[in-house]
Amino acid sequence: MLNGLDIEGTSPLHRMPVRGKLIVLFTAAIGLFFLSDLRLLLPALGLAAAVFLSTGIGLAEAVRRTRFVLFTVLLVAAANYVIVSPHEAAVVLCRLSILVLLAAAITATTGISAFMDEIARLAAPLERLGLVRAADISLAVGLVIRFVPEILARYHDIAEAHRARGLPLRPLTALVPLIILTLKDADTIALAIDARGFRRH
Amino acid sequence: MTTRDLVLVALFAAIMVVLGLLPPITLGFIPVPITAQSLGPMLAGCILGARRGFLSMLLFLLLVAIGLPVLSGGRGGFAVLAGPTGGYIVGWAFGALVCGLIAQRLVREGQNEIAQIAAFVAAAFAGGVVVVYLFGLVWLSYATGNAFLPAVAASAAFLPGDLIKVGIAALAGRAVLAGYPLLPQRA
Repeated sequence: MLNGLDIEGTSPLHRMPVRGKLIVLFTAAIGLFFLSDLRLLLPALGLAAAVFLSTGIGLAEAVRRTRFVLFTVLLVAAANYVIVSPHEAAVVLCRLSILVLLAAAITATTGISAFMDEIARLAAPLERLGLVRAADISLAVGLVIRFVPEILARYHDIAEAHRARGLPLRPLTALVPLIILTLKDADTIALAIDARGFRRH
Repeated sequence: MTTRDLVLVALFAAIMVVLGLLPPITLGFIPVPITAQSLGPMLAGCILGARRGFLSMLLFLLLVAIGLPVLSGGRGGFAVLAGPTGGYIVGWAFGALVCGLIAQRLVREGQNEIAQIAAFVAAAFAGGVVVVYLFGLVWLSYATGNAFLPAVAASAAFLPGDLIKVGIAALAGRAVLAGYPLLPQRA
């Protein structure tokens, strides 16, 4: 039910290792905010858009994914236009848009299993310190994906129960049973996990 | 970490995902429909406590980062985190932590109902509003550069809806405490 936002493809960005992509994003997040020269930022914006489209995502889907965030970027730039200066507005617009487009490109070209492998690698030093187990993180992610449909179905059951009683569906009367019923399952699920020896170390 | 705690953390992150799939709530007196998802951190802190609440919201942040469309509206991935509102999503984890810390300290099983609800309101407000807004505004100010005050002003528009959510979270926290207590009691 929950499909990742990555898409199939063989673009250079697809073939780049996850750690490299994360470093690029991190460097951009810091480096962009030192640049104020529009002669550098505008071509960089074009480059970021080109990189995003080169992933093979298609213009319609690219717009659909980023329009909400880019709209907030536009609002922020508009605030800068009014409060500070048109130049600053253009600079802010470029910086944030470049960051958003690069981020979207990385999300589109990195699969969930690739991310999980990288997380396991990154968690290795924390594992040695005894803080967290990489296997636990993967298990937790797997549990979420597995149980979302069930919890959603439970919500619909609760909504129907409201209708059957002629009660309006209010946040409080819907969420409390949902949370209690879901969390009550925790013991059974934990038993099942331990019975299968998933967390045997 | 016990397996039960791990499962509770994962289940609450899953509840957070479902909150994003619910249609926005339209309350009579506020014209803008409010999404249920920002209730999540306050519920996590009030119900699971500080540590598990923090971890469940951190797990949710991880799900967003790896590209699952779990934010309301089917959004996800780094683009949302890199955008102006990314700080709020990181703030959810620390909001749940602070909310849980206050709830654990103030709420006692034997207290009367009003005192418990008041404690949950304090916890939900401190965590779900103050801490979340702090993280959100810090990233927003980094992103906007100079125009910080309009960002604060714009955020104030969301305050009425968020205050209602504080109330909902406090009442829900109290109801869950009565029905299936999970909040660790620590002095």
